[in-house]
Amino acid sequence: MSSGANRGIFRSLMRDPMGAFGLILVVAFLIMALAAPWIAPYDPLKISITERFQPPSLAHWAGTDQLGRDLLSRIIFGARTALSIAMTAAGIAGGVGLLLGMIAGYGPRWLDAFLVLMFDSMSSLPMIMFALAVITVVGPGTGTLILVVVLVSIPGYARLIRAQTLSLGSADFILAERVMGASSARILARHLLPNVVGPLVIVLSMDIPVIIMLEAGLSYLNLGVRPPIPSWGNILYDGYTSLRAAPSMVLIAGLPLVLATLGFTFLGEGLRDAIDPKLKVRVPR
Amino acid sequence: MTTPLLTVENLTLNYRTGGDPVQALRGVSLTARAGEVLGIVGESGCGKSTLAATLMGLAGTNAEITDGAVSFRGENILTAREETRRKLRGKHIAMVFQDPMTAFNPVLTIGAQLVDFQHNSGTPKRQRHSAARDMLDRVGIPDPDICMGRFPHELSGGMRQRAAIAAALLMQPEILIADEPTTALDVTMEAQIIHLLRNLQSDYDGAIIIVTHQLGVIAQLCDRVVVMYAGQVVEEADVDTLFHAPRHPYTKALIACDPASLSIKEKRLPTIGGRPPDLAHPPAGCAFADRCAQVEPICRTAAPPRVEIGPDHIAKCHEAWS
Amino acid sequence: MSALLELDRLSVDLSISRWPLRTTLNILSDITLTLARDETVGLVGESGSGKTTLGRALLGLQHISAGTVRFDGTPLKTAADFDRIRPRTALMFQDAVASLSPRMTVGEAVTEPFRIHNRPMPDWRARAAELLEEVGLPADMASRYPHELSGGQARRAGVARALALKPDLVIADEPTAGLDVSVQAEILNLMADLKDRYGLSYMVITHNLALVRHVADRIAVMYLGRLVETGPTAEVFSNPAHPYTGSLIAAEPKPDPRKRRTDLAIKGEIPSLIRRPSGCEFHGRCPLATARCRTEAPALRDIAPGRKARCHFAETYQKQGA
Repeated sequence: MSSGANRGIFRSLMRDPMGAFGLILVVAFLIMALAAPWIAPYDPLKISITERFQPPSLAHWAGTDQLGRDLLSRIIFGARTALSIAMTAAGIAGGVGLLLGMIAGYGPRWLDAFLVLMFDSMSSLPMIMFALAVITVVGPGTGTLILVVVLVSIPGYARLIRAQTLSLGSADFILAERVMGASSARILARHLLPNVVGPLVIVLSMDIPVIIMLEAGLSYLNLGVRPPIPSWGNILYDGYTSLRAAPSMVLIAGLPLVLATLGFTFLGEGLRDAIDPKLKVRVPR
Repeated sequence: MTTPLLTVENLTLNYRTGGDPVQALRGVSLTARAGEVLGIVGESGCGKSTLAATLMGLAGTNAEITDGAVSFRGENILTAREETRRKLRGKHIAMVFQDPMTAFNPVLTIGAQLVDFQHNSGTPKRQRHSAARDMLDRVGIPDPDICMGRFPHELSGGMRQRAAIAAALLMQPEILIADEPTTALDVTMEAQIIHLLRNLQSDYDGAIIIVTHQLGVIAQLCDRVVVMYAGQVVEEADVDTLFHAPRHPYTKALIACDPASLSIKEKRLPTIGGRPPDLAHPPAGCAFADRCAQVEPICRTAAPPRVEIGPDHIAKCHEAWS
Repeated sequence: MSALLELDRLSVDLSISRWPLRTTLNILSDITLTLARDETVGLVGESGSGKTTLGRALLGLQHISAGTVRFDGTPLKTAADFDRIRPRTALMFQDAVASLSPRMTVGEAVTEPFRIHNRPMPDWRARAAELLEEVGLPADMASRYPHELSGGQARRAGVARALALKPDLVIADEPTAGLDVSVQAEILNLMADLKDRYGLSYMVITHNLALVRHVADRIAVMYLGRLVETGPTAEVFSNPAHPYTGSLIAAEPKPDPRKRRTDLAIKGEIPSLIRRPSGCEFHGRCPLATARCRTEAPALRDIAPGRKARCHFAETYQKQGA
């Protein structure tokens, strides 16, 4: 992909107010996650029993939880947990899906048939049951969470990429490459890849909030990130158990989830509109 | 001379873009008369498709008509209410497109659509069905009853174009506009569609307007021809005069560079050279001046006049008499 | 003149399997054709005649069921054989814009053959400018993307890429389809100039007879995947030996209103490959068909030096035409 085309995408993304808003939110969360140790006012794990259930104040902008830990610091570090899990999982799933999808779409027909059968049987498993089964076998934890997300999302990405590859594989410019004598590896890497990653990036961007939610949900059920590591799900769980003592905690813990979801979704939609409309990219949702 | 059905007077249309507006039509005037086939010929970007769409009242949302009138039976349809225009479109003016696939709904049979097109005719369904069947028969579809039950994609390109013509004729419009009706077809199908349109003309008292870039189609089918260049009508004449005594240098060049007009093999074909002007900034003088073989100094400074060469023969050129 | 390309009894079958049914479609059968060095052969037929498939089969892009392709005397059998001749052959696509990678600039696209074949290219920008200049495009076009080009510009870029490695054989699939008349002439002149400069041989695949008459030394007419007539262009046009060729020539819309056809040059449509007619496959549309034509398939036979036709009554037809 040439840098000129990328610059064009960025420019038209910034022209679209929703896309620009999404991009700003996502960048803000990324900075928050990367710079957590420097921007968090307190140690997120530091317990201070005397300061339990403080309402928001100048000292604690978001208040404290049932153990007197600073909520804002926990949310900032929670972003680190959420984003690292979501982006690792999405990255692995997207990468594997891209590879398998391109092989299925451009490779021999028998391999395609085999891979499609695999994708179909994978996605016919009920997701929650599958997740619970894996957690039961492997035990809860960050690694398990990533494993579950990766396994569950690969078939969808692979199918998307396969469909894109199939429709592009019969395009004239790919045939032109074959006539010129380009090898299959060259066609896949230089010509198909740049044209199929666009839609994948869009879907990934829109799926990251889903993974964040899943992480929060499983952590809420005590099946995901183990306490005391701060995660938005754990904070939400703590908020729920202390709903009577500090009603603001639930709201404050829910806010970053909502904002992250909005940010990534808007960014995904903005990207979809910004990526060359000439390519007629359609993202099945 | 027959009565004019549709008159276009000094039609001027701009397309709004990011920058300066593109002046797609720059004072187009023409007349379509009952019982005749009018050809509009020109190269891509000359404004012929914009003109056809405007006649149907279908110019895009970024189009802005700044001047002129399109009158159907004396009524200006540009200023008419949307309600009136819609009626006009369905009942009095019909259109056939280059790609007939787009004219049909892919999930309904041809028959169902032809019956549905007559929804405001007020006749019972049985009668509409037989009218549709008869129309398919009339446009030369071999088994009209079988065709009624077919879906658009099951027909060949030629048959689909016949069905589209049938659909357009069902409402017995006074004006039939065909935009590049044969461009997507093979030579053999093209010949058959030309033959069909010509036969239709003999028992049809409306006007047929053919928009095309193919001189062959014009020569075979039309009675009168309008040549367009850079958003203007540069020459208008009856078909024989246009091909055998053209006066505008553009018309002459266009006819000369068509390989079909050469009967012997030649090493090199004549070309026009250069490109049409940018219509966001059209030149002050003649739009063809930069490409013209007979260019004079005046052509670059003054807009050419409409020169009446004979009855029904007009050329927009300073040198029309030379 | 030595033969550059020889096709000997080439057949392409396509098996359509919808379990448990399995049918074999005979897309091309028994094609024997040679292309000499410096020669231009025009391959003519309606859509569905198999002309595009033939163009792809002889480049090894389509599985060949029987027969051989010989390039410069060497038979091509395996994929590796075809890969070896890639730098010496090129294909010009009907849809020039679609044949250019949408994310590559024109400059990158035209120099792509050098990269694919690891040819030395010290400065690719300079090479791109050189190639573009050769086809009459300004050097700054190199930084454009395909969708920013006009039809004629994209076509020129396609020519530049096809000629990058100075091939011996260029297969041009509808080289002027969708172009304006004046641009068409420019592209044809460009192809002629480059042929002279580099001693190219062209196989021009088209349904446009005017184009073939202008560019081809010899013509090969296809119908339902078979050759029905071959011979020198001028002779075939002046006195066709197969009624199908005659009908095609007659069907072409002549850009002269004084040469209007009142009758229908050719009736019906090309039959489906699934239901090939018995006997002579053209009998359903042929004005001369007899009982013999319905049962007995004619062979492609010599009718004059250098001319072949697949018709029982070729001589009678020629006499009638003269």
